[in-house]
Amino acid sequence: MRREDKIVTKLREKLKEKIITINVPRERRIFVYIKPEALRESIKFLRDIGFRHVSTITGVDTGDSIELIYHLALDGSIELSLKLKMQKEDHKVPTITDIIPGVVLYEREVHEMFGVNFEGHPDLSPLILPEGWPRNIYPLRKKYTLEHLRNLIFKEEDEK
Amino acid sequence: MSYGSIVKVPFGPQHPALKEPEHFLFEIDGDIIVNVKPRIGYNHRGIEKAFERRTYIQNIYLAERICGICSDAHTTCYTQAIEDLLGLDAPPRARYIRVIVAELERIHSHSLWLGIAVHEIGFDTFFMYLWRDREAVMDILELISGNRVHYAMNTMGGVRRDITPEIVPKIISSLDFLEKRTKYYMKALRSERTVLKRTVDVGVLKPKDAVELCAVGPTLRASGVKNDVRGDDPYAAYDEIPFNIVIDDGCDVFSRMLVRCGEILESINIIRYALDHMPSGMLRVRMPMAVKPGEAVSRVEAPRGELIHYVKSNGSTRPERYKVRSPTLANIPALCRMFIGQHVADIPIILAGIDPCFACMDRLVFIDVKTNKRKSLDFEAFSEMVRKQRNFRLA
Repeated sequence: MRREDKIVTKLREKLKEKIITINVPRERRIFVYIKPEALRESIKFLRDIGFRHVSTITGVDTGDSIELIYHLALDGSIELSLKLKMQKEDHKVPTITDIIPGVVLYEREVHEMFGVNFEGHPDLSPLILPEGWPRNIYPLRKKYTLEHLRNLIFKEEDEK
Repeated sequence: MSYGSIVKVPFGPQHPALKEPEHFLFEIDGDIIVNVKPRIGYNHRGIEKAFERRTYIQNIYLAERICGICSDAHTTCYTQAIEDLLGLDAPPRARYIRVIVAELERIHSHSLWLGIAVHEIGFDTFFMYLWRDREAVMDILELISGNRVHYAMNTMGGVRRDITPEIVPKIISSLDFLEKRTKYYMKALRSERTVLKRTVDVGVLKPKDAVELCAVGPTLRASGVKNDVRGDDPYAAYDEIPFNIVIDDGCDVFSRMLVRCGEILESINIIRYALDHMPSGMLRVRMPMAVKPGEAVSRVEAPRGELIHYVKSNGSTRPERYKVRSPTLANIPALCRMFIGQHVADIPIILAGIDPCFACMDRLVFIDVKTNKRKSLDFEAFSEMVRKQRNFRLA
């Protein structure tokens, strides 16, 4: 039995119906789609079986909602991507900074770029975008095109 | 001892000790740092958004320009992600060439870093020597690729240039020179009092903290954690090449120096082995323009640590979403932990200790000098402007 299959079996036993799909496209890569309410439980479980390193958190704008992907690594080798789709119009998800402190900046990055609210995060102040960036404009959402963002940045300066 | 009152000291974005803009707000009690808040983004160029607008071929060159020091690591990561989506593999010879260029890049990046580190502690003679010798590896890179910074070696399905038998002796002799010099520098580092006094027990990162804060690369390995993408999640030809993962358990800036020196020596051995065992055959396989819907995660051990790219395709010629996480961002939480309890005077060397690379270039912004108006151009408008200028010159 491959290492990947063992992890998949363990996950299925633990999370049961909270898992939507599991996909192992190749060696050392696992994609797990879970229901959003199972996030903290899954992260805790994965950390306890050795996935102590979070490589990053990716946000994806799917059009109708926002998807989050937590990329976790097992002792550097197996990369597991834990995916969840957030509730429509209510981009809220609990923080995991208390479980894995290393994600503190990744959550802030996703917060700024996608407007996802990580509930319980100690500090969601601006990290990347310039000071004075308008609220509620999240540059990596699909609805903001490059032209839109460009006008936003240069309009003021052109008027001077 | 505590002075009872906390003073806030801003550091950056413009500061003589920083090579690139970045801001840290230090809270200081007397001379001791008690808290630090990072504010990044002074180099944010919206590259992830730009990826969504360009075709897969154009994106190779965009990925190359994410960073000027580890440009090859980014294209390796990018091309691997796309190859993964297409279910194709680069031919064996291409995979060996990727390893050789990646290791040469590691040597040049680590020598560059070592130079900066000794410069931060005021040891500029050492810095000059290191950067002089670094030219040897830059010359090899130029010999192989024709370029010193953006090698443009990788393409989807393989590499663009071969390493011909004529240049192999030149590479070997440069490697011998570099090996001799690196061993000498390691000896110098271990015995030089200036270096020892400024780096031993400075910027300590305990193994438990390093793992908890998700540190990567030499920063993690200098805290005694054996973790290297090349060994744990092998890509290119790393599964066929024997090498050691260099670790050190000193957990301080001095250990970070030793780990990087050790890695230079290890890289030299990897290149020698790869040159000896290089399979013959073609350099690249053909790739289709459009990529079928899917997603892939690609990882590479860049000189600074684990680099991860995520791509989601939608069946067209452009990616739906592209995500890049460079190793420096991963090391910032660990860096903030290292600062606590340290002296203000050690800020530059601790900061340099993680080998920060705050990305390199802004997005395309032109300033019209006469009207002082700024405008930014997209790729099509930019090519149109270049075309017009060229025609003007020809006419």
